[in-house]
Amino acid sequence: MHLEQLLEKTFGYRSFRLGQKEIIEDVVSGRDVLAMLPTGGGKSLCYQLPGYILSGSVLIVSPLVSLMEDQVQQLRKRGEKRVIALNSFLPDDLKKAALANLRRFRFIYASPEILQSPNWLHALKKVGISLFVVDEAHCISQWGHDFRPDFLRLGEIRKQLGHPPCLALTATATPEVVNDVVETLQLTNVRKHIYPVDRPNIAIKVECVPSVDEKLERLFHYVKTLQGPGIIYVSSRQWAEAIARKLQTEGIEHVAYYHGGMDPEQRMLVQQQFLCDQLQIVCCTNAFGMGVNKENIRYVIHFHLPGQMEAYVQEIGRAGRDGKNSIAILLYTHGDEDMVQSLIEAELLSEEQIRLFVEHMTFSHIELSLQRLRTMLGFSDIQWRMLQYMFEKERASASAPEEMKVNIFQMTEERRRWKRNKLQQMRAWLFCSSCRREQIVSYFDQHLAQKPEKCCDICGFPLDEYGLKRHDQTAWTFCGWEEELKRMFF
Amino acid sequence: MNDVLPLLLLYCLHRFNGERSLSAVYHLLSGKKSAQTLQDSKWFQLEHLFGVGKDISMHELEQTVHELVAKEWLIPVAERSYTLTKRGIEQLEQWLPSARFFNHLNGFLYHSVDALFWYRLSLVVQTISNIIHKRPFEPIHRHEATLAWVKRYLFSQKRSISELAQALYQELHALFSSLPEEEATIATLRFTSFERIGWTNEQLSLFLQKDPLYIQLTFQHILHYMMKRAEREPLAFPILHDFVKDLVSPVSLTLSAQKTYEWLCKGKTIEEIAHIRGLKRSTIEDHIVEIAANVHEFSIEPFVDSKTKQRVLEEAKRLKTRQLKKIRDAVGDHVSYFEIRLVLAKVGEIGAS
Repeated sequence: MHLEQLLEKTFGYRSFRLGQKEIIEDVVSGRDVLAMLPTGGGKSLCYQLPGYILSGSVLIVSPLVSLMEDQVQQLRKRGEKRVIALNSFLPDDLKKAALANLRRFRFIYASPEILQSPNWLHALKKVGISLFVVDEAHCISQWGHDFRPDFLRLGEIRKQLGHPPCLALTATATPEVVNDVVETLQLTNVRKHIYPVDRPNIAIKVECVPSVDEKLERLFHYVKTLQGPGIIYVSSRQWAEAIARKLQTEGIEHVAYYHGGMDPEQRMLVQQQFLCDQLQIVCCTNAFGMGVNKENIRYVIHFHLPGQMEAYVQEIGRAGRDGKNSIAILLYTHGDEDMVQSLIEAELLSEEQIRLFVEHMTFSHIELSLQRLRTMLGFSDIQWRMLQYMFEKERASASAPEEMKVNIFQMTEERRRWKRNKLQQMRAWLFCSSCRREQIVSYFDQHLAQKPEKCCDICGFPLDEYGLKRHDQTAWTFCGWEEELKRMFF
Repeated sequence: MNDVLPLLLLYCLHRFNGERSLSAVYHLLSGKKSAQTLQDSKWFQLEHLFGVGKDISMHELEQTVHELVAKEWLIPVAERSYTLTKRGIEQLEQWLPSARFFNHLNGFLYHSVDALFWYRLSLVVQTISNIIHKRPFEPIHRHEATLAWVKRYLFSQKRSISELAQALYQELHALFSSLPEEEATIATLRFTSFERIGWTNEQLSLFLQKDPLYIQLTFQHILHYMMKRAEREPLAFPILHDFVKDLVSPVSLTLSAQKTYEWLCKGKTIEEIAHIRGLKRSTIEDHIVEIAANVHEFSIEPFVDSKTKQRVLEEAKRLKTRQLKKIRDAVGDHVSYFEIRLVLAKVGEIGAS
């Protein structure tokens, strides 16, 4: 069967999107492939379709449990039953059943920590993995914007699984990150499919305003006049809640906030309401977006600037997945970068934390669980991941405690410099006087083949096209609980 | 009602009567499974609030206390302990009638399973509603155990989906009809159906113009009420009974205390159990106090003779206190703290029932 026929039969699509067919052909022929497709470019199809051609199971390693669950649900919704997500939340009885008969699954999603477990690894070895997929592969590189030390061991794990062909997928990776990925995963004879990061249907606008109050005014103006649905990105949980409240007080309806501190059920409700167009606007931190497959997002507003270009490109890339014209607006007030800078500082390890940790791990006779130690010394998730990675690295090279402290501190300093530099580049982009789109693609070492008509605020474009067109939301009215309850069941 | 946290705090501190610090309130509301917190909730008859405020932070409690002290509703009596002033008591009494959520809240029994009950119920409702309206949908919970449970449940049904819908509707309608309008509204709008994703607590609080904490506690109170009725009336609520029956265990003990209880039942002494389990004697004693407080048929006779028991009870009553130190000073130090705690644990149980 031709790939196109299979595509229509299994997924109901008439044709491939840019790059998909070429990538799939290489994957099916057993090559190692590295693919960089623009955000929303249909990356998951590049391993899902081969799943119906290859003889064994496809193993997909993914950095986030929620992302994994989203993809599993999407597959199930399409009618695929032979899919499972292996992570630490899997209940015991399902775990047992899966371990006993892992072969029956066509798609096996796994978190990196599951792959550390000998039991699972053994079970996976027996399955015969025909394709080893690493989703969000930039997480492998410590110079990627979302470094996960767990991902570093994937090369080794792949070897243990009998070196199946590998597909590494990412949306945003600079050339240095691409090289890191190739090296760590030990990709041989790799076929690189690097597609333009540029999303021509997203117009880019940066607006500088003198004060936070005026920034809020601008935000209200845009939210009231732009066609939704839209996402507003802010830098912290508190801001996400505060902005949502302010918009509500302004009389704007169908607004909610979303951040990592909410309980999972409430978070899920907000995400689903947004997907079902019950909500028009979500004010959120960067916790929102990954795995949210919504086609018709018309605008993304950054109320605060992200810490680096990779994050910015990911976040604006959530707009316009349906290919229709959309807009990304970044609002900037002098001094915003200081806030981002302090967030970056908070993510880095302090000298004191490093000292206490190393001393505890090397000198202390008190048996403390790592978890207790972590709480005692007050590490955040990111700090803890980084520290464990550095500590393991040092321990492997058998450094003495003093040396270890110095080295970890130096590594942290190097990270600080690197992050500052990233922020500096982001800031420079805000103030550059040449085409913003060209600047973005050259950041990723690419060239802009063709400038869209609605490009950026430097090139100039009219805003009216993005204005509010219609209120197609049929207002839901509450007719009492009895009526509502009845509607649900009959 | 927009002062739910102050109300909750006054309520707990009033029961604690200055004998426990603010941390005890925090541990109680967050449902800390320690022997101390479990016993406290018995002694001071606050079991129904055990674990009902998992999201309330220590910081929020401190801030609220600060405000209440400034209003002279609370006065500090010791380091981080407070009692209510006369005005504080008046305020509490004035508030109580509007706090209907105290009626059915039963944190001690349900705090760890109410979420599972709600996952099952809401996922079944969402599934049925979508099947009836022939809509594809994404489950509103990603809780794999619940997904598997619901699938099994629906496949095991012998009736058609519309018969099931009819029957479940009737059970829910009967239950909600016995609630005030506002509570039935909260419960209904939290559901996800074929045409509407359920509302968050935040959205309900905007809609009803209430404190989000009020919505959260009221919703828990409704769940606990539903679970209680479903548990007790299998004939009236057969479907809901299916949802709860395996969730509620008759005795709630920490896992470790459960093990100690099993060894006790086999006739082992404290020393032997400590040795077998490689734990300190004091840990085993903690377990026994926990068992005494929770297991109705457990007798403390083997550990405390009846004369000592009588003495402790008398002094506790005379001094109007449950502070161990005060009681021990009164009865004499030939009585151990362990014995005093055991007696109080049993009394707490009597007092509560």
